[in-house]
Amino acid sequence: MVKLRLWSTYFKQALSSILYNRLVYAVSVGTIAISLLIFGAFVLLSVNVKTWIQGWGQTLSISVYLKDGVDEGTREGIRRAISTLQGAEIKGFISKEKALQDMKGMLGSQAGLLDGLTRNPLPASFEVAFRNVDKAKFQPKRIKEGLEKVAGVDEVQHSEQWIDQFEGLFYMLKIAGLAIGGLLCVAVLFIITNTIKLAIYSRRNEIEIYKLVGATDWYVKAPLLMEGALQGLLGALIALGVLLAIHFVLSFKVIQILGLPFMDVVFLSAGYVLGILSLGLVLGLLGSFIAIGRFFRF
Amino acid sequence: MIQLFHVSKSFGPTAALKDIDLRIRTGEFVFVTGPSGAGKTTLLRLIFGAEPPTEGQIVINGINLSRISGTKLDLLRRKIGFVFQDFKLLSRRSVFQNVALALEVTGEKRSLVRKKTHQILRSVGLASKEEAYPVELSGGEQQRVAIARAMINDPMILLADEPTGNLDPDITREIMVLFRSINLRGTTVVIATHSRELLRNTDQRIIALHGGKVLE
Repeated sequence: MVKLRLWSTYFKQALSSILYNRLVYAVSVGTIAISLLIFGAFVLLSVNVKTWIQGWGQTLSISVYLKDGVDEGTREGIRRAISTLQGAEIKGFISKEKALQDMKGMLGSQAGLLDGLTRNPLPASFEVAFRNVDKAKFQPKRIKEGLEKVAGVDEVQHSEQWIDQFEGLFYMLKIAGLAIGGLLCVAVLFIITNTIKLAIYSRRNEIEIYKLVGATDWYVKAPLLMEGALQGLLGALIALGVLLAIHFVLSFKVIQILGLPFMDVVFLSAGYVLGILSLGLVLGLLGSFIAIGRFFRF
Repeated sequence: MIQLFHVSKSFGPTAALKDIDLRIRTGEFVFVTGPSGAGKTTLLRLIFGAEPPTEGQIVINGINLSRISGTKLDLLRRKIGFVFQDFKLLSRRSVFQNVALALEVTGEKRSLVRKKTHQILRSVGLASKEEAYPVELSGGEQQRVAIARAMINDPMILLADEPTGNLDPDITREIMVLFRSINLRGTTVVIATHSRELLRNTDQRIIALHGGKVLE
């Protein structure tokens, strides 16, 4: 009961100090929020890129681009060559005109940009999907090399190429996220440590009086640790709120404007949300701990 | 009982106290006097446990200060009241809150904190100033708040460092009457002062310090 009463006193003291030094704390919380927002944005991007890669990886497909001016006979030859491939299924033939039309559709209100073209630069293509193929044995490079030798075929692109590129991008994002996240964590620690140091300096007379009347070290330290924890937690909450707003805008506006409705933008899972909140909390506590350690012995 | 055995205290090369042997009995009223720099404040701070001695042992009611943990020392301080010349009140807190603080840190029930704070403020004649802030009080009133805060935990010992240094003679007399009444209730009172006026006509024990040594 005594301890519960003391905890309530610590919390009141922490809140009172935050309110008294509200400007310093507002700047500190804002900076923590921005830092965690940048970190959270990297996590969000990584999570989405990973989701996209996983989605694309489930479908093995190739696009066979045809040279301009290919006649009907040559096109049939290409169709036959594709049909001989194990598990291959032609999902459709996209003529040059259809490709241009699709592009206009994707550009939406910006489609006028294509009006100035004197000739259609887009190639016709066969879209091919592979069904019931063992992913481990699927050799897109060999298929690509084989098909590119067929008369009338300009280029073959396979989804694996995209996946490889995106996996590279994902890896880079992960490394950049970790590096930037690490640096931001150090920055957040530095900010919280200095805010708490300022709080201690501004309350050093108060702390001296607490000690004079027999307050234990913990009685003085606990509110300061709470102040740090509250700063970190509040910063993380704001960061997640802004991230959620960005996610909303991206999902409903930007993806539509860019004409990429097939790209589902997912938000962070409960685990990641908890992780970011915990990160803010731990950084807050650690920052306070460092600041307090300079003034008191633990 | 306050006991000091061969206590010395140095700050770098400067010796503030040299080989002090002293006994102050429970319930005694003692003045510690001497010129500035004689070591009066250092002696009080050592008894309070705010500083460790460089040499020697300090024993308060059978507890050796150099042999207890920091937390136990904090708990012991709740039984030692300290009054300063500059009052050391929290300017952002009311008179009531300043006095209640000494009980709040012990985790005492709020109802008891309120009751005891009202009582002690009444006993020092400040019942009508509970809601006032230190800046709104006179020097004498501020010192009475500091004394009330020092007394709220019913301390065994009350230490006062130049408690009347900032007060005029009339207020000084009032404060001394307050200290005497506290002593009559059984609290050991140790007052450090360089005021000859305060020591004139006193029948209390006087410990004179000079250059960090006890003269008598």
